[in-house]
Amino acid sequence: MPIRIGTEPLRPGKLSRSAPPLIWLGTNTCGGDAVSFLNSLDPGYLDLLRDLADCRYLYLTMTAEGDMATRILDEMLTTLPGKYILVVEGTIPTRSNGLYSVVGMRNGEPLTALQAVRELGTKARYVVAVGTCAAFGGPFAAMPNPSGSLPVQAVLDRQVINVPGCPVNPDWMMGTLVHLIRFGEPELDSFNRPKLFYGETIHNLCQRRHYFDNSLFAKQPGEPWCMYQIGCKGPDTFADCPYRQWNGEHLSWPVKANTPCIGCVNPEFPDGNAPFFEHLPDVRLPGVRVTADRVGALTAAATVLGIGVHLAGSILTGRLAHAFKQTFSGSGARTRLLQNLIQRFSKKR
Amino acid sequence: MRSLLPIIKGKKPRHPLLARLLHWVYAPAVLAGILSGFYLTRPFPSQGFSKVESAQKTHFVAQYLLICSYLARIYQAYFTKDYQEILPGFNDMAGLPRFLQYELFLSQKKPKYKKYNPGQKILFTGLGLLIPLQIITGLALYKPNSLQKTVVLAGGLGPLRKWHYLAGVAVFALSAGHIYFACTHDPNKLKSIFTGYE
Repeated sequence: MPIRIGTEPLRPGKLSRSAPPLIWLGTNTCGGDAVSFLNSLDPGYLDLLRDLADCRYLYLTMTAEGDMATRILDEMLTTLPGKYILVVEGTIPTRSNGLYSVVGMRNGEPLTALQAVRELGTKARYVVAVGTCAAFGGPFAAMPNPSGSLPVQAVLDRQVINVPGCPVNPDWMMGTLVHLIRFGEPELDSFNRPKLFYGETIHNLCQRRHYFDNSLFAKQPGEPWCMYQIGCKGPDTFADCPYRQWNGEHLSWPVKANTPCIGCVNPEFPDGNAPFFEHLPDVRLPGVRVTADRVGALTAAATVLGIGVHLAGSILTGRLAHAFKQTFSGSGARTRLLQNLIQRFSKKR
Repeated sequence: MRSLLPIIKGKKPRHPLLARLLHWVYAPAVLAGILSGFYLTRPFPSQGFSKVESAQKTHFVAQYLLICSYLARIYQAYFTKDYQEILPGFNDMAGLPRFLQYELFLSQKKPKYKKYNPGQKILFTGLGLLIPLQIITGLALYKPNSLQKTVVLAGGLGPLRKWHYLAGVAVFALSAGHIYFACTHDPNKLKSIFTGYE
């Protein structure tokens, strides 16, 4: 009896011989990226299983568990080194030798995500970090980061292709996988993100850009204008959300739903671009966290106060009057004339 | 005799022509950059711009003027060696308490300085260091695609924007202090930035 996913039967033996093996490891993750990925429309998840990749391990959907699942990972290392694609979803905890994330048991010992990613990542053909946590640390490495979580690139001494998003857009991940399988490595930006999906800022692609240019701003979420003044991170965020859109069927995206973009694909997300409803991220000093606006306001107040106090002091002590009197009475000029002549002649001698 | 004429008239040369010309290019550029920059950070109509588009144009023109004039000023400072008059040295630091005592009205006796006092030297050096920071962060925000390596160094466009803003705030505070002291301390010296002589 064929396995059924949705309404279509999954037919064995249809997989192309060139389809590379795929491992999708879940480490410290909420699982949102895998769920989002399953919503991919064209190609869909079934197309991936049938035509594109030999999906050996996907922590969220596979039926294997325990030793059977771990054995698949071991087999990949021994029988298919340099051939499989490793996808990692989530951060890699490093504290306590990585025991904050265990992906299975091996010989009665916990197989930590740190160990698994290092072993599998070293021998993989491509390593893809899916979601902002795997790519840059994201919420799972946010302050105070008790598990010492790191992004995939930080624990591997090789190139990692980052496909960030919180969660990742199904198209970004499926598109990257298809590109890797069919055409090889896509063109990457300086953050190792495929330029295909992260090549332009949301701000430049936004349908509401003309509202920004003409200073038509929303004062609160829900208004149909530019979200810049309520903290939209579109100008700082490279992603194609405005035209690709979300929810599998490309229906909507945050600004279209009248909320600001929170810059979830950014390397600084979430600590470095919070608060989400402020234009600028907070300024963090040891023991102090203050909004950038407040720093600006305090500096301006201190400047005005300093100048005001000094000006008052100069007036009260008569210094200001003296300076102007000396300049405009002419006595200053005469004194300087004598000084200059003396200086000039003493130099000549 | 020609060189003696201004001296006989009681004029002492203070700023060469090129330094004055460059000053009057980068000073308006810095002010325009500050005003348009604050508008771009928080666009309110009371800040003098009708829309973001015009503030952006002002900011970008100011940016080019500032970059060119700053580089020219650095070149001039290097070849005329007038950076020696601007950078604070050991003696300036040692004389700082005496200078502060006078400025804080704790002492009546005004200390004498060759051209710039320690406060001016610190202020000019501060501006000289902040302007390149503004230029680098500003260019990375202006062309984030081409200069993405700079964005990587800053840890993302968000932190980069924050540093650009904070440096802008510092430039604003230093410029305000500079304008205040230039206008009130010795109007003769203020005149010299227009005429070249005090």
